[in-house]
This record gives sequence, C-alpha cells and structure tokens, in this order.
Amino acid sequence: MGILGLSKLIADVAPEAIKECELKHLFGRKIAIDASMCLYQFLIAVRSEGAQLTSVDGETTSHLMGTFYRTIRLVENGIKPVYVFDGKPPTLKGGELAKRAERREEAQKQLQAAEEAGNAEDVDKFNRRLVKVTKQHAEDAKQLLKLMGIPYIDAPCEAEAQCAAMVKSGKVYATATEDMDALTFGSNVLLRRLTFSEARKMPIQEIQYDKVLHGLQLNKEEFIDLCIMLGCDYTSSIKGVGPKRAIELIRNHKSLEKILDNLDTKKYPVPEDWNYKDARMLFIEPEIKDPEEVDLKWNDPDEDGLVQFLCGDKQFNEERVRNGAKKLVKARNTGTQGRIDSFFKILPSTTPQKRKQADDKKTSNKKAKTTGGGRGRKPK
Amino acid sequence: MFEARLAQSAILKKVLEAVKDLLSEATFECSDSGIMVQAMDNAHVSLVSLNLRSDGFDKFRCDRNLSMGMNITTMTKILRCASSEDTVTLRAWDNPDNIIFIFESPSKEKLAEYEMKLINMDQEHLGIPETMYSCVVKMPSAEFARICKDLSQFGEAITIACSKEGVKFSAAGDYGNANIKLAQTAEVDKEEEAVCIDMQEPVKLTFACRYLNSFVKATPLCAQVKLSMSADVPLVCEYSIGEIGHIRYYLAPKIDDEDEN
Repeated sequence: MGILGLSKLIADVAPEAIKECELKHLFGRKIAIDASMCLYQFLIAVRSEGAQLTSVDGETTSHLMGTFYRTIRLVENGIKPVYVFDGKPPTLKGGELAKRAERREEAQKQLQAAEEAGNAEDVDKFNRRLVKVTKQHAEDAKQLLKLMGIPYIDAPCEAEAQCAAMVKSGKVYATATEDMDALTFGSNVLLRRLTFSEARKMPIQEIQYDKVLHGLQLNKEEFIDLCIMLGCDYTSSIKGVGPKRAIELIRNHKSLEKILDNLDTKKYPVPEDWNYKDARMLFIEPEIKDPEEVDLKWNDPDEDGLVQFLCGDKQFNEERVRNGAKKLVKARNTGTQGRIDSFFKILPSTTPQKRKQADDKKTSNKKAKTTGGGRGRKPK
Repeated sequence: MFEARLAQSAILKKVLEAVKDLLSEATFECSDSGIMVQAMDNAHVSLVSLNLRSDGFDKFRCDRNLSMGMNITTMTKILRCASSEDTVTLRAWDNPDNIIFIFESPSKEKLAEYEMKLINMDQEHLGIPETMYSCVVKMPSAEFARICKDLSQFGEAITIACSKEGVKFSAAGDYGNANIKLAQTAEVDKEEEAVCIDMQEPVKLTFACRYLNSFVKATPLCAQVKLSMSADVPLVCEYSIGEIGHIRYYLAPKIDDEDEN
C-alpha cells in the first residue's frame, strides 16, 4: 500500500508541503480519482449495521452507493472528477500481491475462528479485512459513472501512475488517492481524504510535490530512491534502514548505487538480487496511456438509465436517485467560479534569501520560538 | 519603531468590518509611505487590497519597513473595545513579536492598551496589472449594497451588464428572476447620489453573490462605490477611505465555457 511511512516523513521534515483545505475550495478543479482506492473505501465504510449493502440477490452495492452519492457531493462543490481504474498489475508487484493474498487467507482463518467463538466484534473486523475490489465491482462502478455522465479511464497498468501523468500534462489539477506513491510517480498535487464521508469532518489534505522535494532537499530521482528505501509495492527494502536513516543516506550519497557502495552491509543486510533498478524504472517510466490522447468529457446524467440501473434489484430509492440526477444537472449548468490567482500572477518574493537568513538567526537567538519563527516578517 | 495615530478609531473600525468577512489573517506592510494590505480569501476567489497613506494619519512614524502578520478576527475584537471617538495608536518595535493598540478617550481620562501577538504567514504577493477597463460605474454605495442584498434572494450569482443606456443587475434562480436597471443620472445635484457610467464598450459579467455581499460591508466607509469591469477579467470594487486611502476588492468572474482549468 503505497510508500511506507512517507506521509509521516513529509509531515516531519517538510510540513509546509501539506496543506489542509475544505472541499468547497476545490471548485472548478478537474481531479483524477484513483478508482480502486475509493471503491475499496466504499466497500469498507458504506455499511448498515456492520453489513455491506446488498441487492435482492445478496450482491454488494456498497460501492455503488458510495460512488453515486460521493460523486454527487464532489460535483455539487464544483469539482470535475474523472475516475481512473487499475489495469493489470505490473509484474514486479507479484511479491506484494502474494503477500496480500497471504494476509487475506490469514484473515479468513481468523474470521472462521471468530465466528465459531461467536465474537461479533472480531467477525466484523476480519470481515472488513477480507474486502477486495473485484472486477465486477469495477465494472458496476464504470456503468454507473457512464450513466452519471462522469468520465473514467482504464489505465493500462497502475492507476496512480496514470493519474500522475495526467496531472503532469495539465489535464487535471490533482490526483486523489490515499496512496502516497502518486507522489513518487510525480503527481504535482496529491489530495488525500477527498472521498471520505462528509460525516467524518476530516479536512482534505493537499500535498504539493515541489514543496515536498524542496523540503526534503532532494531532486526527483533522489526522491524515487528514497521511496524505494522506505518500502514500496514493487520491491523489498534494506532491513534496519528506517525513514530517518533513509533520508540521511540519500542526502549524503545521492543515489541507491552510491549508498550500496558505502553501506555497511553487515549491519544493514541488503536483500539478495535486489531489483531496485527495475522498481526505479517503474516509477520513472510507468506504463501509461498518453495523457494527450485521453479525452475528458462531462455529460448530462441519464436519469432514467440511473433509475433503471440502481432501483429495482439494487434496492436504491427511486426518489433519491432522481434527486441525485437533478443535482448533477444543476451543478453542470452553473458557471464555474474563476480564481483570482489565475488572473494575477504571484510575484516572486523580493527578499526570500534575506528573510531566510533572518529566520535562522532568529530561531537560534530565541530558542523559545518554534521553527520558522519570524517567517512572514521581513526585517530589512 | 513603528507608530501610527488616528484621531478617531471609527475609520479603523470600519476598515476591519470591511475585510473581516473575507480575511481571517493578513500581512500588514508598513513603510514610511503608509500601511498596505494585500490578501486573498481562503478560496482564492477574491483579493483585498487596502492602502492607508501615511499623510492621512495624525502621526506616522516607521523607521524600518515592517511586515506584520495579524489575525483579523482578533484585531476586530480589539477594535470593538474602542469607542468611535477614541484616538487610536498602533505601535510596534523593530522586529516585533507583538503590536500594541492604544485607545485614548477624548477627555484623556481613559487610556487602554491592548497587545496582540503577531503571526507567521506565508506571503504571496500578486502582481496586479494596470488595466484600462471597458466600463467604470460610479454609484451610491448604499444603492449597490441594497441591490446585492435584494438579488441574492433569487440566485447565487449576479450578472452585471453595462451598456450606453445604463447598468443592469440581474439574478435568476429556482423561484424566478430579478432585474434592476440603473440609468445614468442626467443632472447631478449631489455628487454622492449620482450614477455615472464611463463606457468604452459594453460588458456583461457574472459574479458570486457571496463575495459581493462581503464587499458591501465597506459601505459605511464611503458614499460612493466605483465598479470597474472588462470582459474576462476580475471586477474591481473600490471604496475611498476618507482622505486617507482606499480599499479595493477584486473578484474573479464566473466562467461559462469548458476551456477553463
């Protein structure tokens, strides 16, 4: 699942890269959403009395419920979402996937044990661990999105990589996922918690890639190597090298090759036949669709189609579905609010260097102050 | 050292009321030419630009240029502690951590001092290009406030269309629609009641009511408001602040077509 401990590392070392914002401030933005991630969230979170919502035949509909209502919430806030679905997993991910399968089996066993013991809390817990996004779930969601007039893209491989490419090309503003590896793929902006339930009242986290690099004092290549050391989905990592040591190593030696040359391998055993180069290539040149060829079009929803698809067997309330469709139409017909900073350009700060020095001086002079004391004031 | 004194706190009170809806915090740039504030609201839709010239103050001293980050909410609370007739003095040392507000009653019998902690802020300065606007409308500020309030009942946005005949404000919503037309005043008896339109070419722009309703909080500052508009650029809504300066609000228009990003 993404990069181990990266979000904590960024919060510690480059806190200025993470901003919290409200959903409504993202109006007018086109946002690529990692569909597998959010379907998974919905399957886990959208439940009634602990059980997933189901159709008459017992098929899960939690993901459809989530996709329908949360997408409407995004559109009502003026956001233009585009969902990106995973394609085939890269071959390097085989190890990680095998591990996950193992964990599922484990959970399955524990579930059985819990069921026998009659421990409802544990049953619920392990049930959630068994949740998996299947092809059928994805197909259902795609059909729903089509009826809602929301575009989606089938990535040839990893969805995060495709999202990142679309952000880089300027097709969309940001990638929305919980997986931090969207940053490793170079997504300029990463949004977390976008598809969380409104009831949780969690502000959205906006992580800026260039500020991350600046804060960590790394370039793109060094950042990728750092992520590999922290632990990614594609290869194993060096035992005993945690986030702190990893960032120190990469700052000192600039690349994994040099680190391996200088590392005390007795203390820190490097995995045998470590294929970090392949993993690195996967981050630098992932298999993606050319973003320029991707055509994003938001259309009016097909109200009757939605009713036909969601009501009946799937037991959605017809009135609420029709209302939802109307909300989508209404949101489409109101103009998009412009942003003032798209008209007036941000001027480069006139005295950044001086300010920084003054900052440093200040913090050393006045120990009681927290970091960055005096920023925002520029004594001349 | 920085020290600025105004004979009546009323002006500063009104200025604070005029920005507090849009800004929760802002950087006050002080130099020997005066005090300047430029800040965007949280959503980056509007921009407030405030300018108070040093010669408008009763006393103004600024030895070194200062950028002071202030919490507007707190500042508003402090200003509310002053009576309108009180003299107000702002004071800060070089490299300050605090700013001091001193309120003195006209009879000099009461002296109140409030100290406020300054905050650290990221500064983002926007360059605002000199623009020749297609339409410049001057009208009574109370009239503008009234129009914004009335039209907000009908929709989320107000369309302002300006032509030779006059200026038309309109809004449409689920319940119906509303139109208000103002013609240019033919004969000017009182300057502050006049509607004056200076038009190069007609424009029609749509703006969110929410922001306009925040702008009109500046109405007590000035009897007239100046609206400057051109196609596809932000609206400028300007109020003079007595003899001392001005406050300008910039508001990004709503965009209809698809090619925005």
